[in-house]
Amino acid sequence: MSMVYINIFLAFILSLMGMLVYRSHLMSSLLCLEGMMLSLFVMMSVTILNNHLTLASMMPIVLLVFAACEAALGLSLLVMVSNTYGTDYVQNLNLLQC
Amino acid sequence: MNMFSSCMITALVILTLPIIMSSTKLYKNKLYPYYVKTATSYAFMISMIPTMMFIYSGQETIISNWHWMTIQTMKLSMSFKLDYFSMIFVPVALFVTWSIMEFSMWYMHSDPYINRFFKYLLLFLITMMVLVTANNMFQLFIGWEGVGIMSFLLIGWWYGRTDANTAALQAVLYNRIGDVGFIMTMAWFLLNLNTWDLQQIFITTNDNFNLPLLGLLLAATGKSAQFGLHPWLPSAMEGPTPVSALLHSSTMVVAGVFLLIRFHPLMEHNQTIQTLTLCLGAITTLFTAICALTQNDIKKIVAFSTSSQLGLMMVTIGINQPYLAFLHICTHAFFKAMLFMCSGSVIHSLNDEQDIRKMGGLFKVLPFTTTSLIIGSLALTGMPFLTGFYSKDLIIESANTSNTNAWALLITLVATSLTAAYSTRIMFFTLLGQPRFSPMILINENNPLLINSIKRLLIGSVFAGYIISHSITPTTIPQMTMPHYLKMTALAVTTLGFILALELNLTTQGLKFNYPSNYFKFSSLLGYYPTIMHRLTPKTSLTISQKSASMLLDSIWLENILPKSISYFQMKSSTLISNQKGLIKLYFLSFMLTMILSLLILNYHG
Repeated sequence: MSMVYINIFLAFILSLMGMLVYRSHLMSSLLCLEGMMLSLFVMMSVTILNNHLTLASMMPIVLLVFAACEAALGLSLLVMVSNTYGTDYVQNLNLLQC
Repeated sequence: MNMFSSCMITALVILTLPIIMSSTKLYKNKLYPYYVKTATSYAFMISMIPTMMFIYSGQETIISNWHWMTIQTMKLSMSFKLDYFSMIFVPVALFVTWSIMEFSMWYMHSDPYINRFFKYLLLFLITMMVLVTANNMFQLFIGWEGVGIMSFLLIGWWYGRTDANTAALQAVLYNRIGDVGFIMTMAWFLLNLNTWDLQQIFITTNDNFNLPLLGLLLAATGKSAQFGLHPWLPSAMEGPTPVSALLHSSTMVVAGVFLLIRFHPLMEHNQTIQTLTLCLGAITTLFTAICALTQNDIKKIVAFSTSSQLGLMMVTIGINQPYLAFLHICTHAFFKAMLFMCSGSVIHSLNDEQDIRKMGGLFKVLPFTTTSLIIGSLALTGMPFLTGFYSKDLIIESANTSNTNAWALLITLVATSLTAAYSTRIMFFTLLGQPRFSPMILINENNPLLINSIKRLLIGSVFAGYIISHSITPTTIPQMTMPHYLKMTALAVTTLGFILALELNLTTQGLKFNYPSNYFKFSSLLGYYPTIMHRLTPKTSLTISQKSASMLLDSIWLENILPKSISYFQMKSSTLISNQKGLIKLYFLSFMLTMILSLLILNYHG
């Protein structure tokens, strides 16, 4: 496996770790989710261009569209939590249920 | 033999003379009520001549006057049928109306529009005559609608009062529902028998008369206040007492029963319709008798008594005795009108007090009214050999000995005893005991107008039953032999009702009135029927129209069907089935740990 793939795969693993391990802000996991999507996009484009899989060229675009949707959804959840509690601390979600 | 038709036409024309005079100066005269009363009395006396001729010789006449139009094959003309029913009813109605007009000269003498009142009464009488002497259904319908309109105008006489307007509107609406049945019958006869003439209808044989007879039954339900279309009759007591005496006791409300009696050749062979009539009449008589037990307004008690007697007339038609029903109509007119006039005398003497809880001790103060009230109540309950006995006892006997619905029969007997009960209640509260009204009133019943009118009806209440039933031609054969316990049934239940009511009233006279029981509430709120029907139906239709107009497209179709229903459903189900606690960090950390562990194990495996 060439160096490029390992690099980007490392970026992906790093973002994944960042998402799974975070202290207090919900925003940081959303940001790392975006990082994962970005690294996936790059890996996918490099693979397709290198191996001349022409017919799959639209897949990165589709991935980008779905990433945008999912980012919007995540942001709306964040806004809902932040509207109720004022901050986006994760510990808020374990407080009184209402 | 020519005198028959000419006397009848003369009598009817005399009645219309004061109406024609109303466009002249005579109408503004202070003596106009006197002219109207005299015209009615002359019409009565002249109409007795054809009646005597009919009784003596059995001659019936049909006067066909004026050919109005011919619609393809159907001929419409103005024709009067003077047969057994109309010849006996016309003098009775004219006699009662004469007395009522004399009474209303006393009752309404301080009314500024008394001339208009008399004109309305006379118009009502004319339309009632048209109804009774009609030979074809079109003329009958003219009379039918006419009495309905005059009832509206007369009930709402004091139109400044909201309750009176509501009651008048109620009367018109309920009568209208019955008119739908009448028009259906007319349409059926037009389509199938090509005529509206009674003679042609009775000659033509047809298999199934169910539909037109159902229409006639509906019309009778509306006009005669049977159960289902009955609330207008007690509400109609908002009108002046002469109106209640004339319209809603003797003449207008019997129009429905009269219609069914007119069509008795068709009903004879139709068992279904007879059973329907029987059950409807039985329900009506029991229900209204129950409602009459706890009313406190004296006019309402008498109104419910009228309703109960109308149910009894329907029961009589249901056991295939139209002539007995007709006899009951004629005798009932006397004592019911007199009961209303006595209550009018009491009301006027006590300065417009209608609540029987505020009357009492009138036994010594109004002797003549007391006499006539007691005689009227006794006649109503069927005291032997007064007027009511000749019709009511015969009805009960026929019902007992006929092959009929036992439940309807039982109900009728119960209603008969309740009749005695509420009559006792009226007499007890109004006449007996210590006075419960304010002592500042001058009570004087010493007016010749009042005394003479009630006296005439009093003599009628006592003797008319005997005179009529011994003068008429024999029609259906009354049942001659029956077991003695069946013969004494009517008398026994009536006596039971009297004794029970008297004992209850005397015993509970001094007791305090606690919370009303459920039965009391049922009876005094008229069985909850007006409460439900007058509010639920309009509210439902208004709600449906509001919802479909404003909410159907916008709110439901565009908003609620997909978006809001999905979000609502999701939220509900997720709160129902989720038992997470929101510990996101824990979940993420455990995920990461699992992944690392699995990678390590898989890598160093083998």
